[in-house]
Amino acid sequence: MRYAVEVSNLKKSYGKFQALKGISFKIRKGEIFGLLGPNGAGKSTAINILADLLTKDSGRIRILGKEPRDVKEKMNVATAYSWMNGILKVHENLRIFARLYNIPNAEERIDYLIDLFGLTELRNKKAYTLSSGEATRLNICKGLINKPDVLLLDECTVGLDPEVAAKTRRIIKNLQKKESTTILFTSHIMHEVEQLCNRIAFLSHGKILKIGTTKSIKKLIDRQIVRIEFIPGRKPIEKILKKLDVDILYLKKNKVSIGVRQKKFKLHEMLHPILKAGIRIKDLHVRKPTLDDVFIKIAGEKAE
Amino acid sequence: MRGYIVKAMLLKYWYITKNRLDRIFDVFYWPLMSLMIWGFTTYYLRDFTGNFIINILVGGTVLWVFFHRAQQDITSYTLEDFWSRNLYNLFSSPMRWSEFVVSIVIFGLLRAVITFFFLAVLSFILFAFNIFGAGIFAIALFASALMMFGWIIGLFVAALIFRYGMRIQVFAWSFAWLIQPFSAVFYPLASMPIWIQRISIVFPTTHIFEGLRYAFQHNTILWNHVAYAFGINAILIVVACWIFKKSLDTAKKKGLLTRRE
Repeated sequence: MRYAVEVSNLKKSYGKFQALKGISFKIRKGEIFGLLGPNGAGKSTAINILADLLTKDSGRIRILGKEPRDVKEKMNVATAYSWMNGILKVHENLRIFARLYNIPNAEERIDYLIDLFGLTELRNKKAYTLSSGEATRLNICKGLINKPDVLLLDECTVGLDPEVAAKTRRIIKNLQKKESTTILFTSHIMHEVEQLCNRIAFLSHGKILKIGTTKSIKKLIDRQIVRIEFIPGRKPIEKILKKLDVDILYLKKNKVSIGVRQKKFKLHEMLHPILKAGIRIKDLHVRKPTLDDVFIKIAGEKAE
Repeated sequence: MRGYIVKAMLLKYWYITKNRLDRIFDVFYWPLMSLMIWGFTTYYLRDFTGNFIINILVGGTVLWVFFHRAQQDITSYTLEDFWSRNLYNLFSSPMRWSEFVVSIVIFGLLRAVITFFFLAVLSFILFAFNIFGAGIFAIALFASALMMFGWIIGLFVAALIFRYGMRIQVFAWSFAWLIQPFSAVFYPLASMPIWIQRISIVFPTTHIFEGLRYAFQHNTILWNHVAYAFGINAILIVVACWIFKKSLDTAKKKGLLTRRE
């Protein structure tokens, strides 16, 4: 079996609202696959169906070659939006799930995860006393309790401080390397997905707009992004910029973001007419395109 | 049915009970208050009616509390998972709906039995009332039938909670009281108006409490009451399980298990 997760023409509606309009994707064993999209795109709906928490309208799903409900022992899910039982202590919550998944050496596993996610001092605290970041870490511990073959992570780093979020990403990456865990990762934080995922699918309004590796997807934009901030003046900035062979991505008052074809890109040639017109530059950044730029481009094209 | 999952759920209910004072009060405090109120009432009434009133009121209280406990534990422990927004994690685990039901029923049974013996001992100490005066076998029969009906009502209310969410959680505490006036707990069926009798006769609880009074008076079991109570319970428990499963399916279809509020 080459694919750990196979989703074909998956559809789900809530009344008249179509949350998923027939999405298809396959995740290879040991791959981290990102579902990327804005809020309301259908990412959580897809994850919830895969986790057997939501019934699909139609379509076919196979996880490790079986229906999701038949393979729950080998998978797990963690989301920042669900809670563990607040009245139970941290270690009590994990012990319950260790037993539900019937894992051997449960206490050893619990201690390892509590230590890994820096919850050692909180192990005897009731879950309702945890901060949102600590609760999210506890959720991820639960997601890893059974050393799942397939792990579904739905916006699991929301609420974590940057240091812990980075550590969590490292742990996820290690899981892939050391235990060949197949991971479906949803997020609307593009750089996180870019850092973690082997392949990504852009989801918007219940449809997959594009699937590919992060590199191949970023190649869809062959532009450098130049961001310029001008010193406010009376010169007609927009008029001058429109004469140049550039895409104006953003223009507001004295700030502009420009997309420039990479092959043609010569900064001094672009700046020359601006400076010649007497417009003074306060700040200037040149950067490579990010997944955010690609997403905006793809979503824009599809909308047209 | 997997034993380790049922054990895991029982452990969870135990943790909830030991960490939460309300769940301990359910077993001891409220039953004790009911017993004291009805017990002291019998002190006053027996001057007019004789000692048999103790059998009716205190015996009725002990068994009614037992039924109420069996019903309420299913709904209140279901609500615990709603309140803690833990359904997402619970139902994404390997646990099946039948394992959820069996574990909550077993835990409810344990708590109901503790409450029953607690009240049996206290009613003997405080009011010299021996619940087993009607015969151990008779009490075991009536208690079993009551417990089954408690599970039925509990599952039905839990099904409503899964289907409609926490907005109808008030039924968790109130549903049993809706049945009580029609169940002839403290008064004989014949004393009620005819139209109420026609409703009451349907409930297994009516047959159980009628049978209980008869057993106290004559030390004999009226088997027609017992047969009706167990017969209707056997049908209703299948119906309650079916409704519970259907509600859970609807909840999964509508996304109620994944709700964030």
